[in-house]
Amino acid sequence: MEKLILKLKEEIIEVLNLQDVKPADIDENAALFGEGLGLDSIDALELIVLMEKNYGIKLKDPAQGKEIFKSVRVLAEYIAENRTK
Amino acid sequence: MTNSIYINTIKQISVQQPLSDEWFDAPVQYADNYVRAIDPDYKQYFTPNEARRLGKILKRALLVSREAMKDSGVANPDAIITGTGLGCIENTEIFLDKLVREGEELLNPTHFMQSTHNTISSLVAIDAKCHNYNTTYAHKGISFECALQDAFLQMSLPPTPSTRGGVKTALVGAHDEMTPAYFTLLQKGEYLGRENQVFAGETAVAMMLSTEKTENAYCKIEAVEKVYGGLRVKPAMTDNQPDYIMVGTNGVAENDNVYFENCAKLFSNVPLLQYKNVFGESYTAPALGVYAAALCLKKGKIPDFLILDTRHKTQDTRPLRNILCYNHFENKNHTFVLLSNV
Repeated sequence: MEKLILKLKEEIIEVLNLQDVKPADIDENAALFGEGLGLDSIDALELIVLMEKNYGIKLKDPAQGKEIFKSVRVLAEYIAENRTK
Repeated sequence: MTNSIYINTIKQISVQQPLSDEWFDAPVQYADNYVRAIDPDYKQYFTPNEARRLGKILKRALLVSREAMKDSGVANPDAIITGTGLGCIENTEIFLDKLVREGEELLNPTHFMQSTHNTISSLVAIDAKCHNYNTTYAHKGISFECALQDAFLQMSLPPTPSTRGGVKTALVGAHDEMTPAYFTLLQKGEYLGRENQVFAGETAVAMMLSTEKTENAYCKIEAVEKVYGGLRVKPAMTDNQPDYIMVGTNGVAENDNVYFENCAKLFSNVPLLQYKNVFGESYTAPALGVYAAALCLKKGKIPDFLILDTRHKTQDTRPLRNILCYNHFENKNHTFVLLSNV
């Protein structure tokens, strides 16, 4: 799980172009949206694309996103359970 | 009665020193046929969170616009009008590239959203929280002049009920980036990179126009005119002789000869100035021509490297009163901007 969390942090930094942010700067238990990293709705779309592209996970219900994108750890757990690649 | 219109502030990021008039005394010279703009250190101007979604052209446009607004003391202009030949071409390329590579699936939203021409003007408005008139002109080589003419015409008119008090201040922008891939395409199309042609450059210019002159105003805009179709119609503003004509010569004979022939036809022995030798060629380069002419008027002098006809170098002691900026695009669209000192 820790390996996946690190990989996910690196992917998030790259896809969201989080300049000057290093994986260690991201608290895997902190909120991704609002507080914490302060991501917004466009970032949510980018994360949906990332999940499908890199892990083969297609979010059918957009409402799921609210729960899945709670933190990097929650996202990593969801990916570990549902990934197809 | 029509209003007087002044250019109070101009800010630029180009192949010359960014956000500076330093080029006027010491222009950067290039031997290459394709030169990217000199970007300032954006970390000084944007937070990482602000900058992360902005491509090159958006950073440049936002920065020159912010600086022009700050310098002029106009935080909320009555109009934001932008000219761009190619729009956000870098983001468009990324978006199209992914579209092809990934079989039209899984496209990143950011590049798609920021790949349109009007992204630039709207981003400037969102940043300034400005809900006033906002328009983009994407008309290849005359995009800037279209934007300038829109502002000029709206500002010339006195307020009427339909104009809700009229346009008294307008932020006019001209923005174009040049990617390596697009340069290659334009080179194949013989628009850029030809033998003896000036280098291909990039443009980011923002100027604040106002009906009120500020202490540091650059110049007054006397007239803006566009003529379509090989200059068969004589522009009204050419009835009087200007002191100088700033033309868009670029080293290609068929382009430059249009200027030489038309200037000889319209005027008698008015010395010609150039600017593309300093700023390069791009669809919105004429904005840099207007900037160069405006700076000459503000300083009351013309550097030798802008003077085309060597006979006039250093010998012209007449006081500088006005400069006509004349550009054409493929000898179809001819544009004229007459500037005078203040």
